[in-house]
Amino acid sequence: MSAGFKASVSVAGVGLRQYRRARAPLPERGVLVRAIVDACEDAGFDPADVDGFVAYGDDKNEPVRLMSDLGTKELCWSSQVWGGGGGGIAAAFGNAAAAIASGQAGAVIVFRTLVQDDSGRLSGAVMRHHLNDHILGAGLVSPAQLCALRAQRMFEHHRVPPSVAEQLVRASYYHGARNPNAVSYGKELDLDAYRSARWIAEPFRLFDCSRENDGAGALLMVSTERARDLRKKPVQLLGVAQGAGKGWGDLLENDDDYASAGFASVARRLWAQTGLTPADIDCAQLYENFSAQGIASLIDHGFCTYENVAEFVRFDNLIAPDGTLPINTAGGNFAEGFIHGIGMAVEAVRQLRGESANPVPNAKTCLLAGGPGAPTVSSAIFSNEVVS
Amino acid sequence: MSTDKHSAVRHTAGADGPYWQALAEDRLELPRCEGCGRWHWPAVFRCGECGSWTQHWHAVPAEGTIFSWTRSWHAFDGSEGIGVPYVSLIVELPQAGGRRLLGLLEGDAAALRIGARVRGRIAVTEIWGERIPSLRWNLVDGGAA
Ligand SMILES: [Zn+2]
Repeated sequence: MSAGFKASVSVAGVGLRQYRRARAPLPERGVLVRAIVDACEDAGFDPADVDGFVAYGDDKNEPVRLMSDLGTKELCWSSQVWGGGGGGIAAAFGNAAAAIASGQAGAVIVFRTLVQDDSGRLSGAVMRHHLNDHILGAGLVSPAQLCALRAQRMFEHHRVPPSVAEQLVRASYYHGARNPNAVSYGKELDLDAYRSARWIAEPFRLFDCSRENDGAGALLMVSTERARDLRKKPVQLLGVAQGAGKGWGDLLENDDDYASAGFASVARRLWAQTGLTPADIDCAQLYENFSAQGIASLIDHGFCTYENVAEFVRFDNLIAPDGTLPINTAGGNFAEGFIHGIGMAVEAVRQLRGESANPVPNAKTCLLAGGPGAPTVSSAIFSNEVVS
Repeated sequence: MSTDKHSAVRHTAGADGPYWQALAEDRLELPRCEGCGRWHWPAVFRCGECGSWTQHWHAVPAEGTIFSWTRSWHAFDGSEGIGVPYVSLIVELPQAGGRRLLGLLEGDAAALRIGARVRGRIAVTEIWGERIPSLRWNLVDGGAA
């Protein structure tokens, strides 16, 4: 039982609609409504009874505008996690839990939508959130460059071997190649192509970077008690933490522990809250905006250190079914597709239901680690062993 | 050496207003807390460590060491006025409590590495057609430590 997390809430349904970038068949609201209705049908739940909504990453779709499409009887909760990047993805489940546990709402959809015709390029939107003349004056106009600065520090100063990034990318593509819903389905990562791909911003080459898709994802959260009466087995939220430690966050590249992904305080609270340790995690959906930031996220969460990272971050260790910690079992942002990370939350639930294209046998826990390196970050742990 | 005088001071009201004002006058200045002596960057209105509302701006030499760097090869939207490839730097300033400033590297980059010594000057970077006062750094003594 989670000692510190007071809410007993579960994911009861998931929906994911993903398209090639700029190829969505409907504008954003239409795609989002489809994903929400998918999530409700998955749960056997009437969309009109959803009474709360949470998003993150500056989503443009204000929940009140969804009411006519969904037949919403009453809107009781709408909120969004601060931050322009994917750092808030796990925190969104914390918002939903707070709403449900406090009685302010009963059925909350966590969602993220991205259709380029409506919201433009995600990379541009994330940067607009953080832009200032200090950064621009140094020619820094893209998230790739800011993450590259942290990655270079990790490789050159902290002596993390750059080859670990390749191991992580390979694992994501391995899973994506075996997931019929992934953009990279059927396509193995060609290592020569990876190593010789064009530079984006050193130390990142093309395949070290996630690429955007159109689409929407939605997850229906209700109390665990209510989830038991719905169609699918509940996947419980065991704990969730968000925030930033002192000396971290939008500090004009003056952050303490600069090469980290910013999770130190969040991970400490998450482990304390759940009573779990990295050894208790059976698989992880590890938000990788860029390869090195995925590595930093693993280090921050305590799976490995700067010193032993190469022992832990090995391809064989990161893939289903037999790795110690299979990561991004649908392909992750790199290879499944990138709708600002919402697909990773959906995969966490599918994996724990036994619905993943790359099942991890007997997996009971799954870590969802949000956008690494963001000023505000968040992580959550889900489980299929309902504990209360 | 001097900033193009046509580059107006773009920000004056924020906590970092004096930084931009000084840069427009070809000076580099950073704020230090009157209460506890800490160098704050980004600039603050109030020192969260000692509670002082008084921050004094001091001239700081544009000298330091490279804290990290990236060389951009992709022609990112907005960067056309710089032209790829270009190197962006984070520079640690020992004479400002180790606070870090950003900027572009100019000149010979052969000895580019973390820890290399650099010296800066004030210039203008064009981004999305806008002229932004900023720092240009050169490796000192070919980057010797
Ligand atoms: Zn002070």
